[in-house]
Amino acid sequence: MLWTEKYRPRNVEDVIGNEEAKKQVIKWLVEWLRGNKDYPGVLLAGPPGIGKTSFVYALANQFNLHVIELNASDVRTAQQIYSKVGSLGRTTTLDSFTGNKQRKNILIFFDEVDGIDPKADSGGLKAILEIANKREAPIIAAANFPDPIKHKELINTFKYIVFRPLTPKQIIILLKRIVRNEGITISDENLSNIATKVNGDARLAVNLLQEASLGLDIDITLTPMENLPFEELIKRLSTSYSIIEIKNLLNSNSNYLEDVFYTYFDLITRSNNIPFEDKVRLLEYSTKLNELFGKMNKKRSFYLFRYITTMLPWFIYSANRAGVVYDGRIPGYRFKLFIQNRKFREHLNQIYQEKLKFFMHESYRKFISETLPTLRYININDEILTELFQKVL
Amino acid sequence: MQYMNIRYGVPFRIPRRLGDRFKEIVSIKGVNYIRGSGFIVENKEALDSMNKILVKMGLILKPTITCYICGSEINCDECPYNKSCHKAVTHCICKVCFTKTNLVKEYMDKQKREINLIISK
Repeated sequence: MLWTEKYRPRNVEDVIGNEEAKKQVIKWLVEWLRGNKDYPGVLLAGPPGIGKTSFVYALANQFNLHVIELNASDVRTAQQIYSKVGSLGRTTTLDSFTGNKQRKNILIFFDEVDGIDPKADSGGLKAILEIANKREAPIIAAANFPDPIKHKELINTFKYIVFRPLTPKQIIILLKRIVRNEGITISDENLSNIATKVNGDARLAVNLLQEASLGLDIDITLTPMENLPFEELIKRLSTSYSIIEIKNLLNSNSNYLEDVFYTYFDLITRSNNIPFEDKVRLLEYSTKLNELFGKMNKKRSFYLFRYITTMLPWFIYSANRAGVVYDGRIPGYRFKLFIQNRKFREHLNQIYQEKLKFFMHESYRKFISETLPTLRYININDEILTELFQKVL
Repeated sequence: MQYMNIRYGVPFRIPRRLGDRFKEIVSIKGVNYIRGSGFIVENKEALDSMNKILVKMGLILKPTITCYICGSEINCDECPYNKSCHKAVTHCICKVCFTKTNLVKEYMDKQKREINLIISK
């Protein structure tokens, strides 16, 4: 079992760090439950892995509230939000989970609320504000990086509370508690090493501690993971044989997920040293992932993202185990089209729309992601395509 | 020059008429203005940028960090983790308390006491 789950705080006092912010939330909730509903809700803002979600659950547990959680990656339009919590305000729930058939009041928790776009997600934010303004149930929203312009109304209406990354000393307190409960021996020097390298990310620190407890060489993993250049990210991924490290690397560089997938797809097709059966298995796996990416992008079905974030690390892990090696070459077409040259992408789009569209009979997206990479293996004498390949491939 | 103590992430009001400088301050990345509460500074870079504007008005904002367990003021320059810390917190642990053997228990107890105090008020 992952220690991040095993040691998820049950009570508010178990949550380390952000003492002032926590006090503000508790004060607000106490006042709310007494009937002083000055603010319709609270907006917790702060980077991932510092205990926002854990704190909300611990708080609900402490005040005997039942949490109804809505995550912006699943529920983002007004219709979906109303159907989930529109009429929940004044109700109570029967707590059958714990066995004591006790009626509980409700706390509505909107996680990753900054993922909702006020324009594209047809009134999602407006719906949250409307539900909050009825002041029927306490609402807590959490956001990683709320946009001061896009989420202005939310920031001004809700009580805005900032959660900060933990200091190394606070991380050490957290780690020492786990070390004591697990009864393991890890030197203070190692704890300090973890605490200084995780940039205040408590979740990452706990994951690294678990790896260290398994006897893995944590020095390898203890280098900054966030916002890595793409080549560096691929290099790190391809040399990692730890699923936790791969997950952490992907979580910290989530803007590159699709590019990582295509690069790995290319690496698998180019690798000649892996057994045929493994290659087939990996390509089957990649087909499933490709379908998920396609569905998610086409229909903005962001609930699929959770499957991608679960499957992609295992895909990379299996590929590394099978012997896929990064030869220092990112597929050129991918690199130029998606990573390096935005201007060139526009130029290519223009060529496609003006000259190629009429005989390709497919969308531009399909052309650059499927047809173009395939065409590069075929000898074509067409003038336009030759010019294209010279530039792209 | 007037010095004013503030805490990161905690709203505060500026005892000056800001006029046109208000716009300049709220456009700094990491500074938020909440109507009814005041300014919130999120990190050191934001505070430095804000001080550059306020110094012209004779005011300097100074962040304070206190020990969560004993309440003493903390000097980050003496901390061994100084270089790897973002320092934008309201509380940390002082040198003396950090060496205590029952540090974890003391931290938890302090949190429990504070929470009970809020609930019982």
